[in-house]
Amino acid sequence: MIAQPATTRDQAGQPESGAVIEARGLTKRYGLTVTALADLTVTIWPGITGLIGANGAGKSTLIKILLGLLEPTSGRAFVLGHDCVRDGFAIRSLTGYMPEHDCLPPDVTATELVTHLGRMSGLPPTAAKERAADSLRHVGLYEERYRQIGTYSTGMKQRVKLAQALVGDPRLLLLDEPTNGLDPAGRTAMLDLIAKIGSEFGISILVASHLLGEIEQICDHLVAIDAGCLLRADSVSSVTRATAALLVEVDDGIELLQAELARRGLGPVRFQRGLLVQLAGDATYDAVRDSVADLGLPLCRMEQRRHQVEELFRDAPAAPADPAVSVAPAMPGSQPTGAAGVR
Amino acid sequence: MSAEAEAAAGQPALAADGGVIHNIGYRRYDAERLGRWRIVQALTWHSYRAAFGLGRGGKAKVFPALLFALLCLPAAVNAVALATNPHSQPLVSYDAYIPALRTVTVLIFVALEAPNLLSADLRNHTLPLYFARPMHRIDYPVAKLIALSLAVLTIVEIPELLLYIGNVSQVHGAGQAWEQTLRLLPGLLYGAAWAVLLASLGLLLASTTGRRVFAICATGVPLFFSYILAHALAQAGQQAFGPAGPGQPSALTSLAGLISPFTLLGGVLRWLQAPRGVRVPAQMLQATTVGHYGPVYGAVFAALTIAAVGGLILRYRKIGVA
Repeated sequence: MIAQPATTRDQAGQPESGAVIEARGLTKRYGLTVTALADLTVTIWPGITGLIGANGAGKSTLIKILLGLLEPTSGRAFVLGHDCVRDGFAIRSLTGYMPEHDCLPPDVTATELVTHLGRMSGLPPTAAKERAADSLRHVGLYEERYRQIGTYSTGMKQRVKLAQALVGDPRLLLLDEPTNGLDPAGRTAMLDLIAKIGSEFGISILVASHLLGEIEQICDHLVAIDAGCLLRADSVSSVTRATAALLVEVDDGIELLQAELARRGLGPVRFQRGLLVQLAGDATYDAVRDSVADLGLPLCRMEQRRHQVEELFRDAPAAPADPAVSVAPAMPGSQPTGAAGVR
Repeated sequence: MSAEAEAAAGQPALAADGGVIHNIGYRRYDAERLGRWRIVQALTWHSYRAAFGLGRGGKAKVFPALLFALLCLPAAVNAVALATNPHSQPLVSYDAYIPALRTVTVLIFVALEAPNLLSADLRNHTLPLYFARPMHRIDYPVAKLIALSLAVLTIVEIPELLLYIGNVSQVHGAGQAWEQTLRLLPGLLYGAAWAVLLASLGLLLASTTGRRVFAICATGVPLFFSYILAHALAQAGQQAFGPAGPGQPSALTSLAGLISPFTLLGGVLRWLQAPRGVRVPAQMLQATTVGHYGPVYGAVFAALTIAAVGGLILRYRKIGVA
């Protein structure tokens, strides 16, 4: 369980015990016009939690408020039982933060940087050296750590960013778009690493991303925000159930296939150069396979696709019987799973 | 540590060469954590070393070492001169040292090292990594300020101490040595004024941009040209208006020194020296003279230092989170 829309809870009360992060009516406005967070109330429990939202949805703003780096316009937030406004110092000694953008100096070695940042986390000199070596080893940097960071690939730089967040032995990691700029292999490696830190190291993690398909693989819970508002917060399994669609492409005879699939009650919709059908388990695959085989059509592509995040988190998704209305308008922005796009 | 990791930790694997590899898994850190003040101390020490190129590449060490050696030279010459001719007077005064040399070396040192301490973190957007750690927003600029002040203090005061050693080693009796010590102390204090004013001003100017070359220009150019301008105005004032009275320069000549931090420091020195009756020849000071305006120099010095420190802290309140 992850979320309660706890609008009735006492605004001035104590943080809920056991919660890793708790936001109550959190609002952040820049000037009069820009609202980054609008009355966000959510509770996050230990484990790996994904923070999903499009670019500009308020993910980074939320993380900076949680770290005590930004002051909310109104509302309160607690991290590990500490008030973000009054006790940011205590929070920052218990959390590790991996920023979204590039933040590494190119002309020092990874060892030097992580050791120095370990000292800045309050470690004595010897402990900082040991933990820097440990952290870099955990993220998979071995001999390379004596090389200047400027010579690293993007994937290695992301690992250094993760290592510096880990060096102070945090209780909570706040990771802002950790897979940014990585190729598919690099993404998988980074996600595995995050999953390992969450499960084996026993550190709670909040990982922000705009790629749902990506982080649903490693998260226990999901929190989706859009335009600073909470869309939904729930466990991964309940969120992602029955939300996928299947894209089928044939070289020719698409009209025949559409008629055949319609006859089988799959409700196909023309989309780009193929057909979309609502995916309801293996039976859908079988039906598509049989249809294509019966008609003797040259099948060239079958691909699982996902809805936009608003679609996904809408409480009552439209019935598959009328996908032309509920699914198709949302589709142009979507991407293959594994990199499910949110706008 | 999970049970699985513990199990892995308990079973050392045999490596190919017969050695044993221990998978120690993730280790928690439960020992002492340093408080805010000790973290600031660590950052200060790190930055102080960096100002001399320590912990950086070989090239970074060249200029600090060269400038330091250059500034020590007069003290060494003084010591040698006194040693070879015991009846000669000391060549260099504690207060002013060699003003032109000190001005040039400190100007170059600050213009090079202030950007070195700040611009890399600005350029590479490293500041969020600092600000997300157990420190307050003010701690970073304060640590950098203390570090650069100490660095300037080091290159200014160590030549003073060498001078003192050279002088003391040639005097006879405790009385004379004590007199030398009394003369040294104002010199040390004056050096501290240099350190604080120039470090704060240099860092404020350097913090305007993350590009190192631009930052060096942003720091060096105002410091250099204000110095030239102060001299030019003082000269112009002398030629255009002549003395305001017997032994009194014109107001323009007296106030021209306020323009540059170096001549400002010179003016403060002259103001403070006047009651003591110590007369350093005017040409040995950066400012030609201060006339009746000594207190103005003192006030501007205090105001400029406070403004530079305040400006630096304000600058770092604004950046780093956006």
